[in-house]
Parts: sequence; structure tokens; C-alpha cells
Amino acid sequence: MKRRKALSTMAILIGGAMVSTETFFSSCKSDVKEAVFTKEDISLLDEIGETIIPATASSPGAKAAKIGEFMKVYVTDCYDAASQQTFFEAITRVKNLSEKKYGIGFLNLTIAERRDVLNELGKGKPATVVNKVKPVAGSGDAIQTGKEPQAKSKLKDVPNHYFSMLKELTLLGYFTSEPGATKALRYTQTPGYYKGDVPYVKGDKAWAT
Amino acid sequence: MGNINSKGINQNTYDAIVIGSGISGGWAAKELCEKGLKTLVLERGRNVKHLVDYPTMAKDPWDFPHRNDLTLKMKEDNPIVSKCYAFREDAMHFFVKDKEHPYVQQKPFDWIRGYQVGGKSLIWARQTQRWSKYDFEGPARDGFAVDWPIRYEDIAPWYSHVEKFVGISGNKDGLDTLPDGEFLPPWEMNQAEKMLQKRIMGNYKDRNVIIGRCAHLTQPKEIHLQQNRGKCEARNLCQRGCPFGGYFSSNSSTLPWAAKTGNLTVQPDSVVHSIIYDGKKNKATGVRVIDAHSKKITEYFAKIVFVNAAALNTNLILLNSVSTRFPNGLGNDNGLLGKYVAFQNYRGTLSANIDGFLDSYYYGRRPCAVMMPNFRNVHKQETDFLRGYMVFFSAYRSRGHFAGAEQMGEAFKEAQTQPGNWHVSMMMQGETIPKETNQVSLSKDQKDQWGMPLLSISVDYDDNDEKSLKDFLTQGAEMLEKSGCKNINTNDSKQAPGLDIHEVGGVRMGKDPKTSLLNKWNQLHACPNVFITDGACMTSTGTQNPSITFMALTARAANYAVEELKKGNL
Repeated sequence: MKRRKALSTMAILIGGAMVSTETFFSSCKSDVKEAVFTKEDISLLDEIGETIIPATASSPGAKAAKIGEFMKVYVTDCYDAASQQTFFEAITRVKNLSEKKYGIGFLNLTIAERRDVLNELGKGKPATVVNKVKPVAGSGDAIQTGKEPQAKSKLKDVPNHYFSMLKELTLLGYFTSEPGATKALRYTQTPGYYKGDVPYVKGDKAWAT
Repeated sequence: MGNINSKGINQNTYDAIVIGSGISGGWAAKELCEKGLKTLVLERGRNVKHLVDYPTMAKDPWDFPHRNDLTLKMKEDNPIVSKCYAFREDAMHFFVKDKEHPYVQQKPFDWIRGYQVGGKSLIWARQTQRWSKYDFEGPARDGFAVDWPIRYEDIAPWYSHVEKFVGISGNKDGLDTLPDGEFLPPWEMNQAEKMLQKRIMGNYKDRNVIIGRCAHLTQPKEIHLQQNRGKCEARNLCQRGCPFGGYFSSNSSTLPWAAKTGNLTVQPDSVVHSIIYDGKKNKATGVRVIDAHSKKITEYFAKIVFVNAAALNTNLILLNSVSTRFPNGLGNDNGLLGKYVAFQNYRGTLSANIDGFLDSYYYGRRPCAVMMPNFRNVHKQETDFLRGYMVFFSAYRSRGHFAGAEQMGEAFKEAQTQPGNWHVSMMMQGETIPKETNQVSLSKDQKDQWGMPLLSISVDYDDNDEKSLKDFLTQGAEMLEKSGCKNINTNDSKQAPGLDIHEVGGVRMGKDPKTSLLNKWNQLHACPNVFITDGACMTSTGTQNPSITFMALTARAANYAVEELKKGNL
């Protein structure tokens, strides 16, 4: 597929038309990355991410972690066509909800208004509780080698709900970013040794890995 | 077959040839070179030099564009290997991609391979436990497979020999079900694990809970420093290759050690076609090798050949080594070559929540788990299935706790940055019973790009595995419940055999040439200057991680081979 064709197809997609993306993505995956995401999209995703994980006194927010750029790469390369479609619908809905409720774009909303829009986006289905009460066991070998069950993401685990998807992408991208891992969490590539019992005081940050 | 290099006999002649540079091939090379044998190690994959060829070893999570996840294309192109827990963005370059090396699955079998110098020793799980006398006595006592031609006493000194060099951390637990080795200091358990240890051992007199034993230098000794290996830094990023040489691999340890003798030649990109058998001399005289790139065939010659191509590929090479004397594969007089393949049952896992211990956390990333040596059918047959399983578990604090209904904003963020409650994950490593029907053979009509017949694999679970799995899930849940764990979940992954990466057999050891391929020194009964010392030689599987046993058997066989050569017997 030629790039121009790809651009126009994606324009329709981003416009919210419910066209099947199956053929498009399977025939020319390499075109997708450049075609799909505009600069405005990245800015919007940065602000959505910042609304979910804002900068606080103790650490930078998702925007500082370039969450929009991360989503672009991850959604383009790791999501299947159906999940990508859900993702672009989520963007469109955020734009439409902002216009509908406040008459202006998301970027021009106050923080409270942004939260209101994202809460509205999350209605319809119960929001996923991030700290799942049911722990994942992970695979055998991973347990044996002492790896905590950071389950390898499977496509069936991708939330098909608009807000949950944006939230999970934000959390994944933020906490694996340099500011997220080193400022909001504690990170060391080379701990040097293992200690099975160190005192924990409430408020101490978790290990990033 | 054209292009056979017949004029190069002298320049292509060594004392010994080792096929494969993985965990057992590296040991064969080390022992043979140390004893003065000019040794050629043939590796089908590319060269991987310690440190130099570990491109991801110093990367941080944000250095990976997909944060260590796989892309959709990588998953679609690799439906088999992408199931492996360690096949991620940081280490996928050390795994065989599905399309590069196809094979035939008569039944579902996830064949996970590493074709490079070092083989899977770069990416192995590094857990190392000795077999006990009960494991070697198992087949004879329970009437399956054939009797092992060796006992624990035969291999014990060789376990010591390899453990001292490899560097194994572990606690001296004094258990006859899992004999102690030459241990470096053990890793610690965390508080939740200590609680589970106390309660499980209190509730079950026949069960032991101990810290894992693994090939990590917790406190390097002189012999390790001589290898230029340093202390394990508790990174648990091992599958990338270790910048400190903290865990054992052929690349960091045995191969450079063998090279220092001046007797070693490692030749990568060399696909072994077959072993050459001379019907007049009644012995193998060398190997036929296909250059991985030019596809040119060259012959290499030696007095002895060690086959360490990894269990199933060793079967493939032997099956493909046909001659007038051995029309069905080298040493295959009884037709059992390729049969009695076994693996380990990894299907069962459990998870649960643990209350309390919120004032305790841990520091560093421990490269092992807590273990329970097999407690089923140890002294006598007690259950409706044969043999048993090893249990592994780890307790950890999840990241993030519940912040109420809020799903965004400051409070939500803060909650996500703190450790939450404790959880435990548990798994089984079950012994499977080798059966004639679990076998590999050569495809009659399909070949790879080097003209080698594809390996056709027919391996499956049986009723014994289902019963063992069920017992583990029942016992695991009961142990966790009696220990006060909450929200206990049991899971059957239903994963295909192979994903355990513990496949063994096909060229089993035994006392009788009618029912086995190898004798007690790992020599082919019918061609004694060929030694098989990788997983292919295993008569049964035990419940232990297998690699340390492959290493001990290899060192034992290599030293025997040198003695026999000196005596003029080979």
C-alpha cells in the first residue's frame, strides 16, 4: 500500500469511522507508524497520560516520560488491528467528549475538566482495578528463577475498554521510563547483593524491577 | 554428496571432536583440552564471545523500545519460541526463531533452542540440584524404562568436580532426597518465605523447604577468579549474558578455560551432517560438516567424538549417521534410537495472597526460588501415579495498592509507587515416565536448507502426568491453605511438552545393549569411541533441573575416554 493511501485510510479511521483495519494493518504494517500518529495526537496522549499520572512534589509525571511517544511505538508495534482500533476510538472519544461537554479541545481543559472527561470515557464498563487482588502465577521457569510475575503481556490481556486501555498504557510506559523507574520508584540495575529482609516504612517506594 | 575434502585429512585431524558448545559440550572441551587432547568444538550457530557479544547486558528498561515486550510481528512470526518466558526483547537474539529451523510436530511440542557458541548455557534457568540415590534407583524399583547402569556413588565425585568449577550456591541441608554439594553461600529467604517454610515443615513431617541451589557466584573462590568471573550482583538479568560472569555459561567459563590450554579450536557456523563410521576399523573416524553459509561439506577426523548437540539434535545427528554397518543410525542395532524421550511436567502453578509482613521488604533480585525436594513415592510407592515432583515457590510484594475508586491523579499515582501486599507463586517440576511411544525420528520427505532431514517429534503427556499434576495442585493448595494463605488459585497451563526445555533421552544409558544405546561410560555400545553425554543419554528424568547432571556425566566420560585412549582401547 502506498503511503498516501495509508494516510487517507488512517484519516478516516481517526475520524471515528468504523472501518475494518484488518486488511490495512496486515498488508502494510511498516507504513503505520508514520501514518497514524500526528503531532497533535502525541500531545493529546501526553496530556491524557499526565492526567492519569500527574507530576507531583516527589516525581515527574507521564508527560515527562514522553508517554505519547511511548504509546505511539507500543500501539503500532505490539497491538493487533482490533486493539489498535479500540485505541484510536478512545482518542476520538476523548476529543468528542471534550467538545460535547465543554465546547473546547482536551488540551484547553482544566485538570478537573480533564478528569471529568476521562471519567466519562470510563463509564459503561467498570474500571479495572489496577492492583488485581488475584495475583498472576507467571510461567514455571519464571518462578523457578525468582522472577516476580511481571506477566509477559499477551494480546488477550489488552483491555478492550477505552479508559482502561489508556490507563494501562500510561502505567506501563511511565513505570518503565527513566523518570518513572528512578524517581517515582526505586531502581538499580546492579543491586550488588540480595537481602531477604529490609525494614519497610509506609510510604517507601517500591522497586521498579 | 560432493565436495568432500579428502586431501585435508591431516589438517582436519584432531585428537577429539566435540559436537556442540553448550553446557555439556563446553565441559567435554574443558576436560579433554586439559588432558592434552587437541580438540575441535563444532558449533552450528554463530560465535558469541563472552561480554563482547552481549549487546543488551547493560541496558535499562527504558532502553527497550517496547519495554521488553515482544512486537506483534515477532509473536506472529514465532508462535513457538515466543511462549518461552525468557524470549523477550532483551534476549531474543539468543533463541532460534521458528522459521529459521523448522521441525515436524506429530504432536504439539514446543522445541526451544539456542544455536550459538554457548548454546542454551547463555539463557538457561541456572538451577542446579544433584540427583539422589532414589532417582537413579527409580526405574528399576518401579519397573519403567531400564535400570540406570550407574548409581549415585558413581557420579557423586563428578558432581563435586563440576560444582567446584561452576560455582554453586546452596545451603547444606543434609537431605538424602537432595544431596548437598560443594556449595558457595546460599541465597536468603524473605520473611514471607520463612513463614511458609516453618508452617509447611511443621504441618508435614515428610516435606522439606529449602533455598534454591543455583550456578551463581555468591562468593567467588580462587578457581572462579582464575576464570575472570566475579560475584553475582543480584541483577537477575542473566539471559542477556552477565557482565560480571556471575552465572555459569560455556562462554564465561569452560570454553575460555579450554582455550587457555592451547589445545582448543572452536569452529562456529558448522552444521554437523553425520558421524563418519569406518566399517573396517569398526569405529567412528570423524564427522561430516556443512558450512552454515557456503553449504560446503568438509570432513574432520579424530580418535574420539563427543556428541553434545542438545538432546534432540543429538538424536537427529545419530539417526542421520547411516552406513552399511548401521543402516538405521549410528549404534542403533536394537532400533531404540530416538525412543524413550522424556521431559518434565511444568503444567501446574498456584498463586495466593499472604497477609502481614508489611514492615518487611527485600533488596536486590535473587536468581532462584525456594524449593521442596520431591516428597512423593520416595521410599515406596504411595500414590496412584509413579514418581513425583519438585516444588518451587517465591513470595514477593506486588507493586501498587488499592487507592479507592480513583483511577487517576495524585493519590492514585502515589498508591502505584508503593509496594502492596505479599503474594506467593508456586510451580511443579514433575518427573515424566520415558515411553517407547514418546520418540523422535527423521522426516522422510522434508529437509532444511542444509539438506538435513527435519526432526519429527512425537511426544505427549499421559495419564501418569495428569495424576501427578492433579496431586500437585491439591497438595499445593492444601499446603498454602494450612499456612494461612488466602485467595488460592490453581492453574493448569496445559502447555505442550518442550516448553519446560528439559527434554531428554532417545539415546539412553543402560546395562544391556539389547535395551539401551549407551553403556555406563556414555559410550555407544556398538561404537565405543563415540560418547553421548548431553540430555540424550538420560535413562529417566528425575525431578531435578537436569544440567548439572549432564555436566557431571560429561566430565566423568571425558576423563574415562582419555584413560582409555592412553591404554590404546579406543
